[in-house]
Amino acid sequence: MLKAEPKTILNFLANYFDSLKDLFDIQAADGIIQRERLAQVLAERNDNIEVTLLEYKILRKIGEDFEFRDTYFKLFEFILNEFRPLLPETIQKYEQSIGKLFQKIREGVKGDTLILRNRIDDLYNEIKEFSEAVEKNTIRLLAETRELKSNVDKLDYKEKVRKASFWIDYYIIPLNNILDINHVDSITNKLFDISQYTNVRRLNFNDESIRVQFEKLYTFLVMTNDNLLRQSKLLTNELLPLIERIRTESIILTGWIEFLKQPYKSPVPKIFKPERNYPYSNDMYLNAKEYLEQFITEENILVEDPIANSDKWVFNKELYRSKMLEQLPIDSFFDWCGLTLRSEYKDIETDKFFALTGLLFEDDITLELDETEKDRKLIKTSQMTLRVPKIKILKYGIS
Amino acid sequence: MEFPRYHKDIVSDLMSGKFILASDPKFVSLKETEDFYTQFFKESFGYELEIKTDFAYILSYETGEQLSRDICLFFAILSFELDKDGKNFLEEIQYAEFETEKLDEYFTNSSYAELILNNNQMKDAFSRKQFYTTLNRRNIIEKTGENKFTFTQAYKVFIDFAADFAKGKLNAASES
Repeated sequence: MLKAEPKTILNFLANYFDSLKDLFDIQAADGIIQRERLAQVLAERNDNIEVTLLEYKILRKIGEDFEFRDTYFKLFEFILNEFRPLLPETIQKYEQSIGKLFQKIREGVKGDTLILRNRIDDLYNEIKEFSEAVEKNTIRLLAETRELKSNVDKLDYKEKVRKASFWIDYYIIPLNNILDINHVDSITNKLFDISQYTNVRRLNFNDESIRVQFEKLYTFLVMTNDNLLRQSKLLTNELLPLIERIRTESIILTGWIEFLKQPYKSPVPKIFKPERNYPYSNDMYLNAKEYLEQFITEENILVEDPIANSDKWVFNKELYRSKMLEQLPIDSFFDWCGLTLRSEYKDIETDKFFALTGLLFEDDITLELDETEKDRKLIKTSQMTLRVPKIKILKYGIS
Repeated sequence: MEFPRYHKDIVSDLMSGKFILASDPKFVSLKETEDFYTQFFKESFGYELEIKTDFAYILSYETGEQLSRDICLFFAILSFELDKDGKNFLEEIQYAEFETEKLDEYFTNSSYAELILNNNQMKDAFSRKQFYTTLNRRNIIEKTGENKFTFTQAYKVFIDFAADFAKGKLNAASES
């Protein structure tokens, strides 16, 4: 039994609504509120209400975890307009219960009035629950479809097709079958039968209190039938085309993506190719351009470093070293370098010249700088003129 | 002999590869005299006349395959980029006005850069601008401003092709 006043509970719900909404979202997504999640949500807002939630019977303990009691869960569903979609097979169960109650009412219409009254009451409640379940599903399906359509989650096209197909195959078409008035076994059809029956009974039943009850049921059925018709129209006129469109869009996109894999090998739609052109025609320039462009085949042009193509000169040290040793003593080393290169090439290239000067550091030779030669020698290479000293080269040791 | 209304314009438009759109008064005349024109194009040039709900065009044995391929590439990349941008590409193509600057952005940043750069009609903003002129001349787009246009109903030739292409591919995949 609740110790708190109803107003206190309602105030509590209002004061801690944000935390309760978060807990509702958790249960809607996971089916349960784990202990850690509860602690986390309450800690975020500094709401120390765990005990009160249990005391006011808003939450119930399931082992170590928690869940909303049905009354509160439904209250939140209702005020937030966020309903868990019911599977059509779940809604289908009302067909049986409504059918059974209706059958009992017809069979026992001349029997005990008390049980008849209870049956009419139950039938009323079952129809109400059925109608609410359908309405909740339509609301949820519309929300899901619109979300899919606006693609706020940026789903890729395959995921969109999968989701659209899921909603169509498991929810929308079966729900539509339940509501389809043209279908003999649809619940809507059954409700029309009940409506006709109660219409007669509300007028000609002997007991006045039962007549009033039939009247109430009849009025409600007229309203429900209108509502179900509206839901059915919403499904066929809005939901199905909307979701079919998502599916179509995704098929087209699949086509394009496949096409883009091999655009130059795939077939293409036929379009007309103008054949006759007059030079004075307004369209001549663009027609000619269009005609010529079909023969343009762009080949890949590779630009390579020109150096890579030329024969790169590699300094053959051994060759020049032996040449130098053969000609020892050499009076002027740098003159020798120039002469050697000129005997082999047209010009003295700077790189080659410098490569040859490296021979100065060989072990088998002795260097002598001719200090009498005041003026330096000039050697012209392909890129510069070098001023070099006269260096005499002798064989190492006794020559 | 009396010829249907707009005869010269109808023949001239169709022979220059244009789509005649339902919004054009020529379309009504063409539709009313469908039998005559079907025979006319067949007997005179060997061309087939295609009249759909909202546009008409002719087809020859030899078709403008290169242009058709370029248009398909254009629609394919545009659809892909619009979808990537979180838009309903079909609705955009059907109803939206496109600015060439925005399209340049899509094409420049597309992951299909290699295909775009190797295509003469789409490789850069200048080529695309000329391509739009071709599309406009064929009545596939309608210019609504200096750098703006909308697609005409002729888009359906290419979008339907993509759907058929997907179905063909999907069927092939499910059969294998």
